[in-house]
Amino acid sequence: MHFSFSSIYEKTKTKELIAGLALVSVAVLLNMVFGYFAMAFAFYLSFFKWDYIGSMKFVGLSNYKIVFEDIIRGIHGAPYLLSPFYTGLKNILIYTAIVVPIQTFLAIVLAAFANQKIKGQQFFKVSYFLPATTSSVIVALIFVWLFMRNGFINYILTHLIPGFQPIDWLNNRNYLLLAIAMVAIWGTSGHFMVSFLAAMQAIPKEIYEAAMLDGAGPIKRFFYITIPMLKPMITYVVVMGLIGALQMFDLAWVMAGANGGPGGAGYTVALDIYNEAFTRIRPGVAAAKSWVLFAIIFTTTYIFQRKYGRAVR
Amino acid sequence: MNIKKISWLTITYLVLVAFALVYLMPFIRSLVASFMTWEQASKYPPEWIPNPFTLDNYRKLFRLELFPRWILNTSLYAGIIVTGNVIFSSMAGYAFARLRFPGRDALFSALLSLLMIPMFVTLVPNYIIIYKLGLIDNILGLSLLGLTNVSSIFLMRQYFLSISNEIFEAARLDGCGPIKSFFYIALPLAKPALGAIAVYQFLGSWNAFIGPLIFLRSPENFTLPVGLTFAFHRSMWTEYTPIIAGSLVASAPTIILFIVLNKYLIRGIVVTGGKG
Repeated sequence: MHFSFSSIYEKTKTKELIAGLALVSVAVLLNMVFGYFAMAFAFYLSFFKWDYIGSMKFVGLSNYKIVFEDIIRGIHGAPYLLSPFYTGLKNILIYTAIVVPIQTFLAIVLAAFANQKIKGQQFFKVSYFLPATTSSVIVALIFVWLFMRNGFINYILTHLIPGFQPIDWLNNRNYLLLAIAMVAIWGTSGHFMVSFLAAMQAIPKEIYEAAMLDGAGPIKRFFYITIPMLKPMITYVVVMGLIGALQMFDLAWVMAGANGGPGGAGYTVALDIYNEAFTRIRPGVAAAKSWVLFAIIFTTTYIFQRKYGRAVR
Repeated sequence: MNIKKISWLTITYLVLVAFALVYLMPFIRSLVASFMTWEQASKYPPEWIPNPFTLDNYRKLFRLELFPRWILNTSLYAGIIVTGNVIFSSMAGYAFARLRFPGRDALFSALLSLLMIPMFVTLVPNYIIIYKLGLIDNILGLSLLGLTNVSSIFLMRQYFLSISNEIFEAARLDGCGPIKSFFYIALPLAKPALGAIAVYQFLGSWNAFIGPLIFLRSPENFTLPVGLTFAFHRSMWTEYTPIIAGSLVASAPTIILFIVLNKYLIRGIVVTGGKG
């Protein structure tokens, strides 16, 4: 009796083991190949010179040397064709510094306004979220037209801002990156607004009621209750925003072109990795550049999380 | 209602309506312009009523042999990605949540840490892998990369963890094996989560750009986003209005899907984190 029970137990245990491994096998296998193996291969590749066809030649750290010489040339003021990585890096850092704070701020403010007893909350939610459901490439194509010299955006701005002179946004090196940043903010702030709205609706109502009894107005309640309670969500949104902004590709590809537009004003690190791998056919250098980009993204998000996001993973 | 409250409400509506206009205007403007001639659509100051009202932009688009192909390719790609994710993520999510086997937690955390890796790191090696498999310029080769997705697995696992244990225990006592209880208990209960994954993966694959751009080579194999940028950069039209019409056609499925399913979708995207 006792023996047979344990044998059934053993049997179900083996059954569970086999079933478990079988069920996860495809997912694990694919992720191991296209995730871990690819990552390790990128690291390996970054020490080799190759053209996809011939034999691979070990070159040590010279691919990384190419990247850092590029950065140093850029710091010394070399034109962008001689320092593409530096140009891309400089641009995405400026772009990130514009996009992430504005989209986060806008998302919080809009969520706070929408998080009241008002009619049509669903309508606002849907309208704000709509850009996020559309491909960023498609969005960029539409905005190329809106940003034309005789375009809609210049028209609106001349009417909103007194004395505004129409700008040739996409052909002017001083405004190209700003135009891309504006599209990015338009495209993602509504998406993050919905995240904030969900987080706000999870804040217990009692806290607000107590504050109201103490005579705190809506603005005070926003700064002393909503913002502190949203801290984990703010960290999450900023980190996601940083990761997205530092890898920006689609918008620049359409609005500036693969070469980054006039003076490389819309060039990004992601475009540079693409060009290195598929235009200049230097996969080793592309791999080195992608590891440098990874290091930048990792440090930036790590520092931010260490500083602000103790509670969040 | 006092004055303070009314003025606060007024400000609220002013802000919300103003921003709704900001977010909707590009869509409205494109919709109107897609029925205009390029001559009218590029007028300054902008005009709002198509005169003459023309379907020429859409006609030009569909007369182009490639455009229907691009729609077909995008649908095929999205179909494969959605199916793959629904099948493999529910399987893996169930096993990670409900079955005990050695190495389970280690495997799961190994998958989770992949979320931190930027796609540009794995891009070149994956290109080489697909190239070696002889699957470059092939929708199937491209699909291989997205058949499973760590965030879908994560979402399914969370969902299966949230289902109470008793129902699985009862099934086990009735002699229902792990595979059987996956098909007869877990899957039927997981419909909402599977729906969220399906919709979310549909949006992602329909809108995907970098993957299709790199892994597809010949114009007849392109997906819609890649095809439209190709048409744009090649200046296939001297006027811009067909591109606008094409952009609207390309975004119509996701917009309609979103308007119909927005409640579920927003919930799903809040959970999975959404696009970067």
